[in-house]
Amino acid sequence: MTANREPERFTISMGPQHPALKEPGSFQFTVDGEIVTKAYVRLGYAHRGIEKAAEQRNWIQDLYLLERICGICSHIHATAYCLAAEQLAHVEAPARAQAIRVLVAELERIHSHFLWIGVSAHEAGFDTLFMYSWRDRETVMDLLEKLTGNRVNYSANVLGGVKFDIDREQTAAILAGIDFLEERARHYFDVLTKDTMFLQRTRGIAVMSRTQAEVMGAIGPTARASNVARDVRVESPYAAYKQYPVTMALDTRGDLEARFVVRVNELFESFRLIRQILASLPEGELAARFPRRVPAGEVVMRVEAPRGELYYFIKSNGTDRPERLKVRTPTICNMTSVIKLAVGHQLADVPMILAGIDPCFSCNDRTVQLKDAGNGNSSLMTWENLRKHGIEHYARLNK
Amino acid sequence: MSGLWAIVALTIFPGGLFLLAGGLAYEWADRKLLALLQNRVGPRWFQPLADTVKLLAKEEIIPDKANKLLYIGLPVVALAGGLTAALYVPMAGINPAYGFPGDLIVTLYLLSLLTLCIGLAGTNTLDRFSMIGATRTLTQVFSYEAPFLLALLVPAVAAGSWQIGTIATYAESHWLILAQPLGFIVALIGLMGKLEMPPFDAPEAHTEISAGALTEYSGRGLALFHLARAVELIIGLTLVAAIYLGGVSNPLWFLVKTLALLLAVAGIQSLFTRLRIDQTVGLWWRYGTILVLVQWLVLILLKRI
Repeated sequence: MTANREPERFTISMGPQHPALKEPGSFQFTVDGEIVTKAYVRLGYAHRGIEKAAEQRNWIQDLYLLERICGICSHIHATAYCLAAEQLAHVEAPARAQAIRVLVAELERIHSHFLWIGVSAHEAGFDTLFMYSWRDRETVMDLLEKLTGNRVNYSANVLGGVKFDIDREQTAAILAGIDFLEERARHYFDVLTKDTMFLQRTRGIAVMSRTQAEVMGAIGPTARASNVARDVRVESPYAAYKQYPVTMALDTRGDLEARFVVRVNELFESFRLIRQILASLPEGELAARFPRRVPAGEVVMRVEAPRGELYYFIKSNGTDRPERLKVRTPTICNMTSVIKLAVGHQLADVPMILAGIDPCFSCNDRTVQLKDAGNGNSSLMTWENLRKHGIEHYARLNK
Repeated sequence: MSGLWAIVALTIFPGGLFLLAGGLAYEWADRKLLALLQNRVGPRWFQPLADTVKLLAKEEIIPDKANKLLYIGLPVVALAGGLTAALYVPMAGINPAYGFPGDLIVTLYLLSLLTLCIGLAGTNTLDRFSMIGATRTLTQVFSYEAPFLLALLVPAVAAGSWQIGTIATYAESHWLILAQPLGFIVALIGLMGKLEMPPFDAPEAHTEISAGALTEYSGRGLALFHLARAVELIIGLTLVAAIYLGGVSNPLWFLVKTLALLLAVAGIQSLFTRLRIDQTVGLWWRYGTILVLVQWLVLILLKRI
């Protein structure tokens, strides 16, 4: 508190606990009146050591662990991991399994984008839209539950394929649900592009040019709203995206409104894709046999999560557990743009700008930076140091 | 006897208990209506009361470096302002307990005490959210207060009196909402601004600045501020209904008219996105003030003729 009380510098810290953040992350904004003049972010509050934990479990156990990296885009993590492991083990999942993976991934995208519309509307103070979009989101949650038995963490994947088949009744339920959601999405599209009060908060706010987006390494819908044509589903189709090609949703404006438009357009694309998949689901097995031990090698897997490109690197040493596993989630790539774009905007726009990238903090936290509360010294800790620190800390407490 | 009447007026009706109960009931109605419009279940009927009791029972934490006297005194002043204002307003359709020529102005300023107290309470602590919230609260006062005041003065001029009781009696035979629709709109929306309801909730936009000016308040102080706001809600609705909606000559009319207004208020709350503070100021000075000035112009021209 006292450290910030210099003349002409008024710093507001949002987080690690703040109503705008549903997960911990720390932001410092220096403001001049209402205008943000400086922004600073510190991440790492929700670091869970998942990569390290993955090295100590076998290939099958890792599937369950990695699906829990994100609560919203859980399926895509498992898919990325499965595809990478299958590539290492030279196993090809059957066509029907790949199509079902894509189907669930698209349902998940719908659920994530509906959730995001609600969250952003809430950040803007438009709670009615928030409540309505989340009510409609229940439809797709129910569909996922009907398919997989779970509303989140569907656990649809196994190494080498998928766990469940889709019968006629489920197909009919999905089609009916999709029809309803498409109608709702159309309505939200109208609201998001025509409601004058809402447009006051989105149009022309946080404009990111194409060059800026490329320089800052933005990805996913955030980048596509700035006309950066990057979508892994199109660039290097994985799973069944070759059979079911995707049209990219792009926008040239780069402001918050464009991000809404791009995401709602992606919803329409997902609806189309799901109908197409259900109409032409290939026949065949659900899973191929996957070995206990995976041959030594390295693999990089890129997939398109609802928030953007998700990157997996796995190194195998021929045993039943991966030697190294690295995950990079989309939020970390987009975070730079938040910090850059917030400067010069009003404090009231900041939650919207932050929500505009659809952040997911616990997914992106890969490291902890320890800061001494007394002197502000920071240091990175190695695994051994951290372990020693923990043991000493608790020994001190128990004394 | 008049001494006894004064005590009853201050403690039971229309001030005191009736006002507190009515305020909480209207707060519940507002929350419930808003919830229904937003496709939610909403609170149970006793929720505002339960919140208040809970807060009153809790420890009040006074932050370091805050002026203790102000910190404790401001919520009391805010609530007292509201309770006093009720004495000049025809609560529940009964004639005002007190009245003197010009009490309209006094009442409006008593109602403004709440906002001023919230602003001062925010600046009294060192908390950043409170500071920003207080700045926004006070900025907002300067934007809606003048149009709101002007909007309530138009009927006063039409009625030829600045005493609420007289205006209300005049209004019973003249539905001023028909004669002065612009003034009514500005008055109703001004009331929402006064109560910091959405879309005018930038001063307590919780996704930006937590609870705004009241971030540091807990326990008793917070409860009193909440009560003050609930009281102000019912007084404000009564005032607008009495002046613009053909008076509130009996308790039934009072109930019908204030609830109709509350429904309109809840509808507006659910329809719009929160305005940024600069947009709020812009809205009031660009449109609110112009509208109410046009209303004045019409009135002056008609009076001439």
